[in-house]
Amino acid sequence: MSGYSRSEPLARTAPMEANVRKGVTPASQSHRLPGDGIIDRRLPLQFSFDGKTMTGFAGDTLASALVANGVKLVGRSFKYHRPRGIVTAGSEEPSALVEMRTGARREPNTRATTQELYDGLIANSQNRWPSLRRDFMSINQLFAPIFVAGFYYKTFMWPAKFWESIYEPMIRRAAGLGKSAELPDPDHYDKAWAHCDVLVVGAGPAGLSAALAAGRAGSRVILVEEDTLIGGRLLSDGGEIDGLDAREWLRGAARELVSLPNVRIMTRTALFGVYDGGTYAALERVSDNVAMPDRHQVRQRIWRIVAKRSVVTAGAIERPIVFPGNDRPGVMMASAVRTYVNRFAALPGKRVALFTNNDDGWRTVETIERAGAHIVAVIDPRHEVPAQYQRLVDTYDLRVLAGVVSEVKGGVDGVRSIVVANDKNGLTQRIDTDCLAVSGGWNPNVGLSCFHRGKPTWREDIAAFVPGSAPKGMATAGAANGELSLSACLREGHGAGARAAAECGAAGKPGEASKADDEVYAIAPLWHVKGKGKAFVDFQHDVTASDVTLAQREGFESVEHLKRYTTLGMATDQGKTSNINGLAIMAEATGRTIPETGTTIYRPPYAPVAIGAFAGHHRDENFHATRLTPSHHWAAKQGAVFVDTGLWKRAQWYPRAGEKDWLETVTREVLAVRNGVGFCDVSTLGKVDVRGADAGVFLDRVYINSFSNLAVGKARYGLMLREDGIVYDDGTTSRLAEDHYFLTTTTAKAGPVMQHLEFCRQVLFPELDVQLTSATDQWAQFSIAGPNTRNLLRALADPSEDLTNEGFPFMGAREVKLRGGVTARLFRISFSGEMAFEISVPARYGAAMAENLMIAGKPYGVTPYGTEALGVMRIEKGHVAGPELNGTTTADDLGLGKMMSKKKDFIGRVMAGREALTAPNRQVVVGIKPIDKARRLRSGAHVIPKGAIPGPQTDQGYVTSVCFSPMLDQWIGLGLVERGRERTGEIIRIHDPLRNEDYEAEICSPVFYDPEGVRQRG
Amino acid sequence: MADFSWNVQSPLQQALVPGRHGGAGTQVGVTLEEVRGVSLVQVMARRGRVAETIKAAKKLFSVEPPDTPRAVSGRNATLIWSGPDQFMVLSARQTGDQFAKLTAGFAGVASLSDQSDGRCLIRIAGSGARQALAKFSSLDLHDSVFPAGAAATTAVDHTAVNFWREPGSVDENAVFNMLVFTSFADSLWHTILDSCLEYGVQASVAHAA
Repeated sequence: MSGYSRSEPLARTAPMEANVRKGVTPASQSHRLPGDGIIDRRLPLQFSFDGKTMTGFAGDTLASALVANGVKLVGRSFKYHRPRGIVTAGSEEPSALVEMRTGARREPNTRATTQELYDGLIANSQNRWPSLRRDFMSINQLFAPIFVAGFYYKTFMWPAKFWESIYEPMIRRAAGLGKSAELPDPDHYDKAWAHCDVLVVGAGPAGLSAALAAGRAGSRVILVEEDTLIGGRLLSDGGEIDGLDAREWLRGAARELVSLPNVRIMTRTALFGVYDGGTYAALERVSDNVAMPDRHQVRQRIWRIVAKRSVVTAGAIERPIVFPGNDRPGVMMASAVRTYVNRFAALPGKRVALFTNNDDGWRTVETIERAGAHIVAVIDPRHEVPAQYQRLVDTYDLRVLAGVVSEVKGGVDGVRSIVVANDKNGLTQRIDTDCLAVSGGWNPNVGLSCFHRGKPTWREDIAAFVPGSAPKGMATAGAANGELSLSACLREGHGAGARAAAECGAAGKPGEASKADDEVYAIAPLWHVKGKGKAFVDFQHDVTASDVTLAQREGFESVEHLKRYTTLGMATDQGKTSNINGLAIMAEATGRTIPETGTTIYRPPYAPVAIGAFAGHHRDENFHATRLTPSHHWAAKQGAVFVDTGLWKRAQWYPRAGEKDWLETVTREVLAVRNGVGFCDVSTLGKVDVRGADAGVFLDRVYINSFSNLAVGKARYGLMLREDGIVYDDGTTSRLAEDHYFLTTTTAKAGPVMQHLEFCRQVLFPELDVQLTSATDQWAQFSIAGPNTRNLLRALADPSEDLTNEGFPFMGAREVKLRGGVTARLFRISFSGEMAFEISVPARYGAAMAENLMIAGKPYGVTPYGTEALGVMRIEKGHVAGPELNGTTTADDLGLGKMMSKKKDFIGRVMAGREALTAPNRQVVVGIKPIDKARRLRSGAHVIPKGAIPGPQTDQGYVTSVCFSPMLDQWIGLGLVERGRERTGEIIRIHDPLRNEDYEAEICSPVFYDPEGVRQRG
Repeated sequence: MADFSWNVQSPLQQALVPGRHGGAGTQVGVTLEEVRGVSLVQVMARRGRVAETIKAAKKLFSVEPPDTPRAVSGRNATLIWSGPDQFMVLSARQTGDQFAKLTAGFAGVASLSDQSDGRCLIRIAGSGARQALAKFSSLDLHDSVFPAGAAATTAVDHTAVNFWREPGSVDENAVFNMLVFTSFADSLWHTILDSCLEYGVQASVAHAA
C-alpha cells in the first residue's frame, strides 16, 4: 500500500484508557451483540451525543455506536421537524445528519453513517429547539398544508419588503439544517494529483476483482474507496467466494493487492467528479476520524486523478418504499439493518418486521434470527415466497404476509407497531415491532457514468436505471452496472479490469475471476403505498408523495420542474434514496412509463465537498503566490509599508517616527527627491531581452514609433497599441547592441505584453530573426532621481565613468563599472521630471545596491521613496499611467498622437484611424485643479460644464489620477475630458455623487511642474 | 570615498531556514535544498541556425543539446530543454565572465540571455519527495513516465517553472530540480515547504560545484 493509504482503521484512533482509569463507567451498549462484527472490542471509545456520554468501539461509525446504544431518534426533519432516525449505513444517508465537533471546528450536516467514531467525539442533533425530544418547531406539522410543494413561491409573495426583514430570517430559523461554525476553520486542507492507467472506483467484490485483474496484468492501478475498509457489501452480507467465507476471501484479495507495487489503495476517499481528458476528482477524509488533525497534517485533501481508463464499480443503493409513516425512527433500509448487525454487531431492533418487494430483502431474515433477535413478520407484496427462501419460512416459523405496510405507529422513540394491509382484500392487521426493515430494490449508482450528460437506461427486470453511455475511457461493472448477484460482480469486475489494463498496454496475465454461486434476484416494483398520513419521498428535504402529485396537478410535470418546484433531490444527499421514487410517482400520476419520465441531469459533486477542501492551501497569506522585489527585505527593515500591485509587494512609502499620516510621509519623500535625491525600487517593471538580426524591425512593428533607427547606447520611450488601435502599454526601450534591445513594460502589463510579443514573433512575423526572453526577475532596477543624482552616482561609479551631460546625455543607456567591482546598466531616463537615472544590477546585488545607494547618497540626504511618491511626481509631470492607459484611450487621447509614425506600418495603425477613435469630441488627458486650493480632489469624480445639471447628457469625462502636490501645495489631478485640450483655463464643475461632493475646478495643462523639462535634462 | 561591498543575497535569504522542519521525531522524508552560485544562460537558436547551434553546443559541452523535454549532462554543464530550438545551460558560477564566454561560443548562431539571477534553483529529494511534489505539481513522476533526465516546462502555484529529474538519479534517490522565477521564490518556498512538512524536512543551502 502506498504512503497515502490509511486503510488500517485503528492506527489513528487513541484508546480511551485514560478515561477508564479516571473511573468513567462506560454506559451500557444495550444493543451491542456478542457476535464478531468488524469492530475492535479491545478499544472502547467514549463519545457524546446531545451531551449524553456513551461508548462504542474502534471500527464503529457514529451511527453504529448510536444503534449499539439503543438510540433511535437522532434529529428533526427540515420542514416539519418530524423525529428522524438512521435510515441507511452509508454515504447516501438522508436523515441521520448531525453537527460534529464544536467551536471553530463545528461542522453541520455530517452523516452519522460515515462519521468514524473516535475517542472524545462530540456530536449534536440539529434542527431542534430546545431539545430533540421536545422540539418546539414540531408544531410545524400542524401547519403542514402551508409547507407543501412550492410554498416559498406561494406563501411569501406580499408585501415584497417583508421578504428580507421578516420572511427570510423566519424561514431560516425554522428550517435549514445545522449551524456552520462562526470562526475561521483552524484546520488545513490541500489538493494533490495522482496518475494511473486504471482507476477503479469502489472496492466491493466487483472493484476488488477489477483491481486484481488490472494489477496482475501489470498496469498502474488506483483503487479508491469511500469507506474506511475495502470490501463493500461483503463486509455486511458475507457469502462464499472460491469456496471461502467472504471475509477470508477478502483478506486474501487485500493481501494480494498490497503485494502488487503497481496498485495503490486509497480508502476514506470518495470519488465525486468526472472531468475531461480522463481527470477525476476525489475527496480524501484524511483526519475526519480524529478530533484534531496531527500537526502538519490536513483535515481533508482533494485528489485530481488522471487515469487512462476507469472502471466504476460504485455498487448500488437500496431504494426505500414510499408509504405513510416511512420516516419514523426505526424504519431502516434492510441492507442497513444487515450492516449494523453483521459488520458492527449492533442490533437496530429486537422484534424486526421486514417489508420487501424483492428477493434480496429476504437476506435480512437470517441475519436477524442468527443475531438472536426475532423477525415478527415478513411483508411481501408479491404474494409468493421466493423459492430459495422457502426453507427460512420453515426454519424460523416465519409469519409471511402478502400485502403492504400502510401505517407506522410510534413516538419519538420510534416504531412501536405497523399496520399491514392486504392489497387484494383490503383487510388490515397490526403488528408490534421496534424496527421495520424496508427494501424496495436496488438502484445502481449511475451518477458517475452520467456526469458527461450520459442518460441512464431503464432495465425492467431489476426495475432500475443502469448506465447508458459512459464518458470516454470509463467502463461500469457489477452492481453499478445492474448486475446484482455476487457471482456476476466478481465476473464482470474481473473482465472490466482486464480489458482496461489491456487497453492501457499491459501485457501481463489478469488471472482468473473468482467465483461464487449464482443467485436469483427477482423484484416486483412497488413505489408508493397510498394511505392517510405523510409518505416521504425525500427524507432530507421533507418532500412527500402528495407534494409530487401536487406538482403534477399544478403543471410541473417535467422531472427538472418537479425537482425545482418541490426541492426533491436538492439536499446535500442529492436525492440518492429519493430521486427514482419521485419520478416513479410522477410517472404514475402522468400515465407515462418511468423511462418516458426520465431522470434529472447528473452533475458533480457526487457527495458533498467542503469549500475549504476546494480552496486547499490557497487561503490567508497563501491565497495566491506573491512576488518580492530584490530590495524587499531591506525595505521591510526600513519600516516600509507595502502595497499589493498585482502579485507584487511594493514599498508604498517609508514612514518615519513622528509623521502623523501617510500624506506627511509621501510629501516628505517627494520634497526630498525634488530638492536632493531619492531612490525607488522599480524592479517590478517588465523587462524583455529582444535579440536577433531583425530585433529593430520587430520593434518597429509592435511600437507606434521607430526603434530600428535608435542608436546603440540610447533609450527611447515607446507606445504600443492593441490591434484595435487602443493603447496597450508603454515603456522605455534601450538599444544595448546592434542586435540587442532591452524593452521595459509597465508592472501591470509585464505578463500580457510578453505574451503579445511572443504571439507577434511566432504567429504574425515568423519570418523575422528575433528571440525574446523575459528578464524581469534577472535585474534589480532602481530609479535614482533629484538634483543630486549625479553626485550620488559619482560616488558609486568607477571614477573612469563620465557622467557629465556630454558623457551621459539625457536618454543615454550603457554599462558602467561601479566601485567594488560590479558592472551595472545605467539608463538616463526620468519618470519624476527630475534629473534621474535608472540603474540595474543582477538581482543578487539588489539588497546591496539599496544599501550602497544609502551610503553613496548620505551626504545629499538620500531618501528611499515608495510608489505613492512615484505617483505624485508622475502626476505633477503629467505622465500617463494605468488610470489613463485604461483600455479606452488612443495615443492622441493621451497627448501622444504625434508619436505615431507615418513612415511605417505597426500594429493598431489602421484601426486607430477609425472615425470614432479620431472624433474631435473625444475625452483627452488634461490637468485639473480645484478652484478652492483647500479642496481635496478625488479620482472617479465626474466632469460637467459649469452650470449644467449633472446627468448622462452633460457628463464630459472624469478624474483619473489625483495627488496632493507638494510643489503646488494643493490637490491636483489628471482627467479624461471631452475636447479637453481646447478648454485650458475653463472652469468646470466636479460632481461626485458617490462621495456627495460638488465643486468647481480649472482645466489646465497636465504638466503641472517644470513644463519646459529643464530639470530632467540639466 | 566610501567603500562599497556587494554582498550577494539569495531570494530565499529569509524563507529558507536550514535545519529540520515538520514531521514527527527525527524522521526526514524530504530534503529541500537551494543551490546557490549557479550560472544559467538561456540559449535560443537564431532563425535558420539550429544545426549550427547544436554544433556550437557540442563543441562547448561535448554533448548535443536535447531536442525533446530532457536534461543532459555535458562537460561542466547541464543542458535543459526549454522549448523548440532552445535550451538552458546550467553550470557552477566561476570567477570569469561565463556569459561572455558562452556568447562568444554561440556568436551569430544563437541569442543568449543571462538568467543566473532570474531563477532560483530548488532541489527536492527523499522518500517522500514524490508524494510532496504531488501536492504542487500536476506531473506524473512515475519512473515509466518521468525517468531520470526527463524535463518539463510546467507550473507550480500558477507560476512557470522549469522542472527536471537529475540525470542518473534513480529509484529512491531520485532528485528533482525546479528553476523558479526569483521574485516568486520566497512565496513558492513556503508552498513547497508546507507540502513537505508532514514527511519531515531537512532544508539546506548548497553551492553549485
